[in-house]
This record gives sequence, C-alpha cells and structure tokens, in this order.
Amino acid sequence: MPWSRFDREWTEPGEGRILEFKDAVREAIDQAMQLDERVFCLGLDADDRYAVYGTMKDLTHPERVMGTPISENACTGVALGLALSGMRPIHIHMRADFLPVAMDQICNYIAKWRDMFDDQCKVPLVIRAVIGRGWGCGAQHSQTLHGLFARLPGLKVVTPATPHDAKGLLLSAIRDDSPVLVLEHRWLFKNEGPVPEEIYFVPLGEGRRMREGRDLTIVANSLAAVHAMKACESEGIDADLIDPRCVKPLDLPLILGSVEKTGRLLVVDYDSPFGGFAAEILAQVAEAGPGILRAPARRLTFPDRSMPASGPLERRFYPDVQRIAEAAHRLCGDPVAAGGVG
Amino acid sequence: MTERTGIRPEQAMKMLRTMRTIRQLSERIIPLYPKDVMETPVHLCIGQEAVSAGLCIHLRDEDLMVLGHRTHGPALAKGLPLKSLVAELYGRTTGCSHARGGSMHVYDGEHGIPGSSAIVGGNIAVSVGLGLGRKLLGSEGIGVAYFGDGATDAGVFWESLNFAALKEVPVLFLCEDNGLSNVMPKSEHMFADPARIAGEFMPVYRADGTDVLSVYEEAGRAVAQVRESRGPAYLHCTTKRWMQHQGVLEDDLPYNPIDPEKDCPIVRFEEFLLRTRLATPGELAAVGEEIERDLDEAFAFAEASPYPDPEAMEV
Repeated sequence: MPWSRFDREWTEPGEGRILEFKDAVREAIDQAMQLDERVFCLGLDADDRYAVYGTMKDLTHPERVMGTPISENACTGVALGLALSGMRPIHIHMRADFLPVAMDQICNYIAKWRDMFDDQCKVPLVIRAVIGRGWGCGAQHSQTLHGLFARLPGLKVVTPATPHDAKGLLLSAIRDDSPVLVLEHRWLFKNEGPVPEEIYFVPLGEGRRMREGRDLTIVANSLAAVHAMKACESEGIDADLIDPRCVKPLDLPLILGSVEKTGRLLVVDYDSPFGGFAAEILAQVAEAGPGILRAPARRLTFPDRSMPASGPLERRFYPDVQRIAEAAHRLCGDPVAAGGVG
Repeated sequence: MTERTGIRPEQAMKMLRTMRTIRQLSERIIPLYPKDVMETPVHLCIGQEAVSAGLCIHLRDEDLMVLGHRTHGPALAKGLPLKSLVAELYGRTTGCSHARGGSMHVYDGEHGIPGSSAIVGGNIAVSVGLGLGRKLLGSEGIGVAYFGDGATDAGVFWESLNFAALKEVPVLFLCEDNGLSNVMPKSEHMFADPARIAGEFMPVYRADGTDVLSVYEEAGRAVAQVRESRGPAYLHCTTKRWMQHQGVLEDDLPYNPIDPEKDCPIVRFEEFLLRTRLATPGELAAVGEEIERDLDEAFAFAEASPYPDPEAMEV
C-alpha cells in the first residue's frame, strides 16, 4: 500500500478531543461553509468519491463543492473572479505540483491584485494544495514549493504541522481578505492530536514553540516540524523547536528570541535550498541579530535537484529524524559517530 | 451603414458621446505623450470605439468586467469617470487605481470594473469567475470577458470557454477582433476561426465592430441571452486598429490599411444620425465641444493632483 508507511507517524500530546489531521481540515472547511454561505470550494477532483483524501468527505453543503476540468490556470482565474465578485472561494489541488500550471494567475494576477489597485478590493481567496511524497511519486508529484510561492509579494503561505494548526490556520486563511496558499503535507494526514470542536483561529504570522530547549534553536515547518520533534524526543536533543506555521508572514520575533537564548540555529526545510525558506530565515537572523550566533547557522534541506522515484534514492533525498538529530548534534559540537548519532 | 430604426435618440446620443470621448481623449494624449507627462504604456482605441460603446450601453453597474491591457475605451464606456482615468495616466493619487496601476491597470468598483490585467488572456478566466459569482450570489448581473483576437491564441481562452459552458456561467465573451496581435496579422497567429469553434460551446453572435449600430443590436441579443439563460454567449466584433499596438504613432502596416472615412465608426454613425434626423449638425458639434470642456477639466484636475509620497514605498 502506498501510504501505509506513514500511517499515524506521530500523535501530538494534549488534552481534549483527538482528531486526525485530515479530519481537522475537513472540520475547518465544513464549519466555514456552515458559518458563511459565500464559502465555495472548487478544484480538480474536489467533489469525487475520494473527497481529496477525506478532507472533503460528508460536508454539510456539498452543493457548494464544484469539481473542475483539468484547467488549473483558468480555474485559478475563476477563483479570483469569484473572490472579486463577493464569494470566499477555496481552490483545492490534490498536488502542489499542479500550482505551477496556474502560475500566470497566481503570480501575475492573484498575488498582485490588491496592491495593484491600492487595496480598493478584497481578494478573500484560499488555495489549498497537498504535498505528495514517496511510493515513486517522483519529480512531478512530490514538490513542496512553499519557498517558491513565498517569493511572490502579496501571497501568504501557510504550512500546518499539527491537526490543531491545520484547522485553526485554515479557518484564519478563509477569514482573511487577502489570498492565502495553504500547503498540507500528505504524510501528516493520519497524524492525530487534540482539536477543539468549536471554531477557532490560529493567527497568520504567529509561530509556535513546540518544545523548550537550551542548546540550539531548530526552526522547522510542516512535516519537518514533526520530524524535528521526534528527533529531539528520541535522540536526546535539548532544542528550542520553533514551528513558524506560516512561511509568510514569518514570525521573526519568535525565532530571534529563541536564537538569542540558544546561540545556535538549525533550519530544517523540506524544500529546495537555493533562495528558499531556510535561506530567508538565515538571512533575516543575520540581519536582525548580528553576533547572537555562537556557531554558524545551518540548513538541512533537499538537495538542489528534482525528486527521484526509486525508494532508496527518495528516502535519501528527504532529510529524516536521524539526519536532523545528526545535524543538531554537529551544530552543538557533540561527538557524532560515523554513520550514526553519537 | 444600413438603415435601422428602433434605437431611441437618447441611446444614440449616448453611444455617440461615448465614442467621441474615447476618440477625443486619445487625440488629447497623442501630442502630450512625447512630453513624458504620462509615464505609462498607453494602448489607444482609435477605430475601435464602437465595440465598447455598443456593448456597454447594454450593461449595468452590477455586471462585472475585468479588462485586458487596452483599457481606455471599455473602461470609459462602462462608466469609469474621465477624471479618474486621466489622473491615473498622470500617476497621481486621485487616479482610479491611486497611482498604483497606470493605463493598463484600472479599477472602478462602483461601475463594475474590479480591475484589469496586462497579461493577455488571463482576464477571460477571471471574468468567468465574476459571472459565476454573480450567479451564486443570486445577482442578476453577468460577467463580461473583454479581449482581443490575440487572446484567442492562449490556452486559458479555450479553458474558459469550456468551463463557462460546462458550468453554465452567465458570462459574455466579447472578442474585439482588430486583426492584429501587436504587429502580427491574425492569419499568422490563429489557424481557425475561434468564434466558429465557440459555437460548439455557446450561442455566438457576430457584429461589424466599426458600425456601432451593428454592435448595439448584436450585443443587445447576446447580453439578453446571457441574462435570460444564466449561461454563456459569445460576441465577435471585427474592427480596425488605427494606431500602433502601443504608443501614439499611427499604424503603417501594409496589411492593415485604414480608410479614415469608411473605417471610422464615428464618421459612419454621425452620417446615420444626420440622415435619419436623430441629430442636427449643430447638436453633433455641441457634443464634441462639451467633451473638449470635460477633457480640459480632467487634464487640469490630473495636473493639479498630487503625486503619491515615495516614502509610502517602505522597504
């Protein structure tokens, strides 16, 4: 089975009702559609029996879910038109790799629309896209792309790591009057965690300290945040773990405050390295806090090439718990045994 | 021009006034443009005025239209105030996009222009979304996708036709076919007749885009079709571009000959108005003079308006 390897990889500790990530996403959409009749979903396969990996299943208002042809560029334009006409559309993609098909609309239209007309209009548009990985998905079905899209002025980019944040960030994105891209990693979908039943909003631009530590700061988002958490727990790393939750707007004060305390920074970014999210964090820390680093800051990212299909190559392409732990130990000057964690 | 009746005098005069405003604004821009008082690429509409005037007389404020790069004609016809447009060309804060847009990016929320785009083709899809939004919100309004023949080369045009038909979107596809994509003649950029193929997806209407009465009649049918069916329609208007694609120089392409009498929608319409006694020579002259005064006022307003504060562009 393609997805069996990552079933319930991590459960977020906490009190209250426990939901899977995918069900938290579903609940956010369902509640938003119940609350506001202008919320309207569209997308390729958004309305089929598989319900976008269950995230669109058994919605209260299925009449407001529209399946679309394989016309991502036009449909993204349609979504912009819906937003400009007073609706609050959510455009859904089964793979983040389909977003570049609509790059004209996302880059030239949606991201710029409010600024181009001096904020005379609102663009309450959410684009949801699922990041794939593994089982030979290869170069065109495994891209993360959050660094690419965060480059576009006017676009907010959100990358939830936990069921709680998946719901709260998506509700904030739907409520926002500017375009927001929400990237959900497929490998998080069966993770569990506490999720309040009521509607709540995780503010866009507010990061979260996932654990307290003294030796170094690890910044990681989406699946990387979960892997970093596991690395800390299983390998005895005393890290302050920051999940920015939003690539943009970025919670720089939270990161800086942590780096001032620990003096060491490792950014784990499951994306390509050049000019990306990790590079941006390193640049902002360098600009904002000269002299606060006791050791050179480090990035752990994909190599600067496309995703291979074969399992052994793919598993080497992605950093993992072991390599995060290794990188953290090296940064702290701990002995690291060849081929393993010291 | 064929003899037609049934048009009310006030509608005829409104269309004339719209066409003359578009023309006289263009003629005002031409000598000023080399002085760099308007630092923005203009795409003038001389020769194409009838399409905007004949279409927009059937539209209401609740009908939404995202324009392409050639904005002046359709925007003015849809209701954008002259002052707001001229101030935007001058890069002043009083412009319709508050000096952020320029000639190619105009905005007028009040008159149903939620923006315009300079990337050819994409505005068609956005306008389909506008129409779908009108339908979903229970409005009687429609979307209007206003584009040139060059845009029919783009994949997004065909995707939009399919989507609008498939989902029964109340949107009018308006192709203002001036036969040129920049300097390329249509025969070199489009193999088939897009309007004919559009007929597989929706009702198609065709008009002579240099004859405002032809546009008026066919646009009336097409808009009524969209409004009543709450589904799409296509209106193809052939016209002629007198100026170069961009800027203020006359076009001199050998394959785009212009006859300043026969190809002029204003000359043709004024002849009709005189012949049918819908207007007197004095009334026609008065329209032109009134627009000159409006232009004086609009340009004075623009020149007196402040530039935006550069400090607003903080890093």
